[in-house]
Amino acid sequence: MPSTRINNRIRRLRFDNNEMTQEELAQRAGCTRQTIIALEQGKYVPSIELAFKIAKAFGVALEEVFQYEE
Amino acid sequence: MSFKTFTVIKMFVVIIMAGLVGWAMVSGNALIPIPVAIAALVILLLFRRGVKEVVVDERIYSIGEKASYLAFRIFGIAAAVISATLVALGQEAMPELEPIGFTLAYSVCGLMAIYYIAYIYYNRKYSGKK
Repeated sequence: MPSTRINNRIRRLRFDNNEMTQEELAQRAGCTRQTIIALEQGKYVPSIELAFKIAKAFGVALEEVFQYEE
Repeated sequence: MSFKTFTVIKMFVVIIMAGLVGWAMVSGNALIPIPVAIAALVILLLFRRGVKEVVVDERIYSIGEKASYLAFRIFGIAAAVISATLVALGQEAMPELEPIGFTLAYSVCGLMAIYYIAYIYYNRKYSGKK
């Protein structure tokens, strides 16, 4: 159950990118695998910097990864 | 080097250091633990540089901040209550408890002073004022 109002499509994007592993994404974004797990479960909201790094790792715009729920 | 390898090395270094410190204490060499601790620290720092994977990130720092703040609040309240109790008991029945109560109370005051100095520093640093 997500505890934040910021949703993300990290899991979807990982599978769309040749089933990228959490470890691989963590290395590309410069964070730990535990952080990627927490993000996918909606238990942690990243900083703007990490959000940009994750979007860059997928090669997409920030809004394509993170969405704010009104 | 992976983080798991580093953890194993760290464990061995700590075990060796603990053994040497224990031996030094038993044999009465009080000065040996200092160079042993410094050497262990240097060895661990050198091995730590070899770890390529990300071990600490913003989430870990965020958790640390929350845990520190909670620990500060719990300790502050608990120490304040205990010190007041000790001082009261010291004045009423057991005078030997009074200095312990005052020491604890001053410790809490010192901790709060450090907290507010740090708070002012970071508030100025991140406020945009020059």
